Amino acid sequence: MAERENLNRIISGCRNGDAESFSQLIDMYAGRCYGYFYRVTGNRTVSDDLLGELFVKLVEKIGSFKGDSFESWLFKVVSNIFHDYLRAKHRQSQFLETQKSRMQSQVSEPERCDGDEIDKLQLQLNKLDADTRDVIMLRYYSQASFREIAQMRSELIGTTLSKVHRGLKKLRELMEG
Amino acid sequence: MAMENQANENIEKLFGEFLSEEDSRRAAENVQKGERILREHPAPAPAGELLADINSKVVKALAAKGAKTRRLIACKVAAVAAVVIILIVISVKFSGKGPAVQTPVTLEPIQRAVWESDGVSVDRTELALLRDEIEHVEGEILTLRLGENGGNGGGEFVEIEMELTDIGSNFWKG
Repeated sequence: MAERENLNRIISGCRNGDAESFSQLIDMYAGRCYGYFYRVTGNRTVSDDLLGELFVKLVEKIGSFKGDSFESWLFKVVSNIFHDYLRAKHRQSQFLETQKSRMQSQVSEPERCDGDEIDKLQLQLNKLDADTRDVIMLRYYSQASFREIAQMRSELIGTTLSKVHRGLKKLRELMEG
Repeated sequence: MAMENQANENIEKLFGEFLSEEDSRRAAENVQKGERILREHPAPAPAGELLADINSKVVKALAAKGAKTRRLIACKVAAVAAVVIILIVISVKFSGKGPAVQTPVTLEPIQRAVWESDGVSVDRTELALLRDEIEHVEGEILTLRLGENGGNGGGEFVEIEMELTDIGSNFWKG
């Protein structure tokens, strides 16, 4: 309850343009949002850029938060940023058709700076399609319910359940294989 | 309606809306095991430098937003002031309570005969007639002074006055 009040106070400060409140918001959510970006892109540099883009965008967008579930709202913005990135990457790869294969490998290969276990998970995650990776990571990092995830992604709950179930089952098989 | 969160949602029951009891139990188990793998392999945390950089970007964005908001407010105030001024002008104009509209000061119209005359000769004729009239009046006055009219001075004065008035009006009428 106190945590909820604290979050409301921080959001209110952010809406009023208070830099300190934004700093607290970054402290609270940067880790989870970064985890999502890293897991869906597999690239630290891209994740760094997307995290920066997220919080700068929040300065403009925080006023549009209607006061329901902040985490659902936040992760909808997070997911939109990832999809914008995917679209931009797609346009870029179309434009630079001659370098297509090189660019794809750049995007999908994880960095080698993490521990072996993390690399292993990332390698297996990269074998899933981008949409399945997105929905699994959205659920894991936003900590939202299936109903909230379905709402965020504007899809039926049955579709969300099916994608998460199939994706996690395949991931487990890959990790155990 | 408050939405259930991840902590209190019943996954098996959710799957049960689409699958058989056995399948929904297995699906829920698969999800839980998969999510356990994710928990066991945490993603890297953002670097401290990155967070510091983001904080400074946010401060800049806030400053830019503040300036933009101030400009927007100034524009709105200017627009409202303009509307108020226009409304005041319109209300003053149509209520008639404001200062009287000044009509332009013009000179008396120039006598039509003089204005429409196309030559000095016409004007001279007019002047000649006026001079004759004046001479006639002077003669009348002289007659009165000399008493040539048989002592009927009062009636003569009225006649002269009427004649003067007539001359004046004829002259200005052209």
